[in-house]
Amino acid sequence: MTRHISEDDLTLYYYGEGRRRAAVERHLQACEACASLYRSIAGTLAMVTAPDVPERGDQYGLEIWQRIRHKLPEQVSGFGWFDGFARFAEVTRFVGFAAAAAVLVVAAFVAGRTSRQPAPASDVARLENPSNPSNPSNLANPANPANPANPSNVGRQRILLTSVADHLERSERVLTDIMNAPDVTPAGKGDISAEQAWAEDLLTAGRLYRQDAVEAGEQSVAGVLDDLERNLLEIVHSPSKISAADLEQIRRRIDAAALLFKVRVMSDELRRREAAPADRATPRTPSSTSSSSKVS
Amino acid sequence: MDATETAAVLARARQGDSEAFRVLVERHSRSVFRLAFRMTGNEQDAEDVVQEAFLRAYKQLGRFESRANFGTWLYRIVANCSVDMMRAKHARHDMTRSESLDEAIELPAHDAPGPERLAQSAEIQARVRAALDGLSPLERAAFTLRHHEGRSIDEISRTLGLGTSAAKHSVFRAVKKLRVALAPMQAAAGRTG
Repeated sequence: MTRHISEDDLTLYYYGEGRRRAAVERHLQACEACASLYRSIAGTLAMVTAPDVPERGDQYGLEIWQRIRHKLPEQVSGFGWFDGFARFAEVTRFVGFAAAAAVLVVAAFVAGRTSRQPAPASDVARLENPSNPSNPSNLANPANPANPANPSNVGRQRILLTSVADHLERSERVLTDIMNAPDVTPAGKGDISAEQAWAEDLLTAGRLYRQDAVEAGEQSVAGVLDDLERNLLEIVHSPSKISAADLEQIRRRIDAAALLFKVRVMSDELRRREAAPADRATPRTPSSTSSSSKVS
Repeated sequence: MDATETAAVLARARQGDSEAFRVLVERHSRSVFRLAFRMTGNEQDAEDVVQEAFLRAYKQLGRFESRANFGTWLYRIVANCSVDMMRAKHARHDMTRSESLDEAIELPAHDAPGPERLAQSAEIQARVRAALDGLSPLERAAFTLRHHEGRSIDEISRTLGLGTSAAKHSVFRAVKKLRVALAPMQAAAGRTG
């Protein structure tokens, strides 16, 4: 007995997509039930015509410019060094980007720690007076690498903020895919192999970001990354052909940890800090972390 | 503007030259508005999306890869800004929306429009708009990209940053909901046809 074609496959067929188009076409000629369903789908979709878009004149671009020009934030320049990296990332695509970005953040931190030059003799004398404000060892001195306002720290911090925010946004998509995956019948199996591959790539980068966040004193960020890592691990270690019960268990854990909410809030928070002036994007110590930024 | 000029303008804009960015805004505003309107179905929302999309593009110019197509890159930003706008709007009006959707779906048979009213395409379009408003932001975005913009599932997946499966199922769910919501119209059309 010939199996009928599903509504979803007929929808794909309507849009000229899907495999086995020739087979679907033959089936539709032979099966009145499927042909009727197809006519119904096509009839509905034919009703949904493109809305008439209101006209916008030749000066519209100029109007938009006038509306936004005063809202433009200060451009974050100095991405020249980033271009080569971006081209490399294009080749390695998403996986390469995440992993390479994480390596870059680590490298920036290591470089910051190992590239300090020996102090000149005149500076050595000043080191002997810790209360001297110009003493580099004084925490209040921006030249002190431990001072959040130290330019090298600010630069590294911005890289970290951008990279982690990107990572969180990509992770959110995987989690959303899992939460929105079509329900599996009790007897059937769902396929989450694509989400698993994505989650596995994110795990590697996520571990490096978490370590960086800990080192940078970003405890809230590290906490969210830790939660995320545990849930991504569970997704990766589940069977690709997943049962309804296993899928439901993963979803329940994501829900119970309010993970999607935490990831979104943290991602928004990092984007805000990324866009903020340099002095507000500096590393957050536990004492300076506002309660509003804590989502864990 | 040829490819060389475009590349030069983009390079200047990426270095923070706001006048160069102005050229891009003036050049792309109308197409951005068209997409935003199709995605949101509302003129004021579309205007807000246009502004937000250009502001977001300006902030992210440093991450734009110079070899990529600016129009394609901007298209993704506009699509995602539209989804964000619809999400925010749904969050504000969630209760009202679900009530109106229920009304649309559970329309009693005797309220189904007769042939005369059906002949009025404005009435049909109003029903279609209400049905589209009943979709979730992601379903509406995926459906609009597939149905009105002619994007393939793979392209929708890349544009919205979704997995292929999620993109496909967003379209499927949208079509199912539209079929339910528009069934009375189709039944009436069947009776008159």
